[in-house]
Amino acid sequence: MNSSIVISNVSVIFGGGANAVKALDQVSLEIAQNEFFTLLGPSGCGKTTLLRCIAGFEIPSTGSIRLDGVALEGLPPFKRPVNTVFQSYALFPHLTVAQNIAFGLQERRVAKAEIERTVGRMLELVKLSGYGARKPAQLSGGQQQRVALARALANSPKVLLLDESLSALDLKLRQDMRLELKRLQRDTGITFVFVTHDQDEALTMSDRLAVMRSGQVAQIGTPSQIYDHPRSKYVADFIGDTNFLSGIVRDNRLETQSGFVPIPADLPQGSKQTVAVRPERLRLVSDGGDLRSRITQIVYMGNETMYHLEGDMRVRVPNNAGATPQYALGAEVGLVVPLSAVQPLEDAS
Amino acid sequence: MTRAAPTVKQRLERIDLLGRWGLILPAALMIFSFMALPMLVMALISILEPGNFGGVKWGAYSGDAYQKFILERDLSDHLVVNTDYLSIFSRSFSLSAVTTVLTLLLGFPSALYIALQPPKRRQILMFLVSIPFWTNLLVRTYSWILLLRNGGLIQSGLEVIGFRGSLNLLYTDFAVQVGLVYSFLPFMVLPIYTSLEKLDWRLVEAAFDLGANRWSALRRVILPLAAPGIASGCILVFIPALGSYFIPELLGGSRALMIGNLIQNQFGASRNWPFGAALSFALLAFVLVLMLLYALRFQRNLEAQS
Repeated sequence: MNSSIVISNVSVIFGGGANAVKALDQVSLEIAQNEFFTLLGPSGCGKTTLLRCIAGFEIPSTGSIRLDGVALEGLPPFKRPVNTVFQSYALFPHLTVAQNIAFGLQERRVAKAEIERTVGRMLELVKLSGYGARKPAQLSGGQQQRVALARALANSPKVLLLDESLSALDLKLRQDMRLELKRLQRDTGITFVFVTHDQDEALTMSDRLAVMRSGQVAQIGTPSQIYDHPRSKYVADFIGDTNFLSGIVRDNRLETQSGFVPIPADLPQGSKQTVAVRPERLRLVSDGGDLRSRITQIVYMGNETMYHLEGDMRVRVPNNAGATPQYALGAEVGLVVPLSAVQPLEDAS
Repeated sequence: MTRAAPTVKQRLERIDLLGRWGLILPAALMIFSFMALPMLVMALISILEPGNFGGVKWGAYSGDAYQKFILERDLSDHLVVNTDYLSIFSRSFSLSAVTTVLTLLLGFPSALYIALQPPKRRQILMFLVSIPFWTNLLVRTYSWILLLRNGGLIQSGLEVIGFRGSLNLLYTDFAVQVGLVYSFLPFMVLPIYTSLEKLDWRLVEAAFDLGANRWSALRRVILPLAAPGIASGCILVFIPALGSYFIPELLGGSRALMIGNLIQNQFGASRNWPFGAALSFALLAFVLVLMLLYALRFQRNLEAQS
């Protein structure tokens, strides 16, 4: 992997003495050149702190961050070849859109004509040509967001940091901006590091993502690796909807309260084990099946139907115009669990 | 045919109209009786002839008071230019201008420092800034006499480290300048602090992120956003400083007069009320012109922003 950013053993401790809080705890990860990398996790997991460490707003208590082989320690934010799209956009209210975008270039003493050209190009890139003379307050949230993007990209940074940059937009705009961001990342060839608590954003946009939990990285992988093969209960639960099945390993099967589930052969006999199975990978049958249960709730969701079953299980069944059989509330049903859908989890029980 | 009952809207409008005038009335009365009326009296006095023992000769109109400001009659009864009063005006102007600049240079960094502290310490520091208001300004000005006079604390302090001779600090423009800066400093710190406290510090982070160093972030982001506070601080310092009276009276003695002292003198020892009134109006006109210029400039800024 051609690494752009190498983060090794970074810890950040806020406060001191008994009140010290470990915002980041020995985080190590590598981000490749021109990768769309996402830091995903709930608020307080340290994802924004890690982003601020890369930007230079936070100084790691221990560990190091290297960018293209150069250590960033001791470099103030204004000397780092990275730019940030802030959660609040942080556009300068006293400057016009064009002046906002030109800000970084002016700081680097770029020639006037060159600045003008770049600003024009950036406005075009974010589809805001003709808006250059406006003030940020005269723009909609989505437009402001794009100005913030243009302002950061105008400096042609090696890395673009995005801090929950879509969370202030409404759903429709958010979905448009996802595609837009992905397009910009491909067009510019810049490494994007994106921070979000929204798993959909993380799954749809990222090349790879790191799921974070209380200052540590829980798992790193491509979206499909994370979704299909979560290693811990935390990751499986945080990303998407998941059924957890617990039991004892016997004869390459998991003996649970409601039946036997096939499991991979390499698990130790007689051990307690929990596996994760996505609701859409389960199949409902009237007779037989690996597990038996009873339908407690049926939720119609348009393209699919969610069946809630006894034993805290859920099954998603696609609605393809009556081709799939319907089941009634309270009916006893069987569940077919394909081996490929079973993901053993590392943490016990 | 019955008369159409007033609609709800009409009724509301009537109440609204009554209420609006009723609410304005007390303020209007206050302004009329305590500002407009006295000023009319002053305007009248300024165009009358002075009485022999103070007061005025009613009915004897004259423009002498305004003329006296620039011209005087010499022994042979010719009008010649007299710059004495103009020089007092210009001294007042320069003392006030320097006061404004010095309080700004001291006040902005202080306000910035306070605004950058954690909220709890901010409160303590702002409390400290307001402590001088707890003591009468007159008393505080007198204590400057104790500090500045020959044999005072400053000189004695210097003598301890070997200084000999007299400083002659008191009763100079310098003493007046020190007194003005000292008393008006809080009026500069408070409005600037208010505008800095509201400032979104993420904007400063954004400036750093875009390659601005501390100085550049200050110049390009903090200063423009604090401009309204700086402007009101300058107005709050400059205008009262221009009209200040007892600070030059106590610290400047008879050698460092300001407009305020001159005006007071006309109503006191000189017994020339019309001239005193005319001086007041000259000062008022001067301040109004400055305010107008400021308003025009500020309006242009507002237009540029929208």
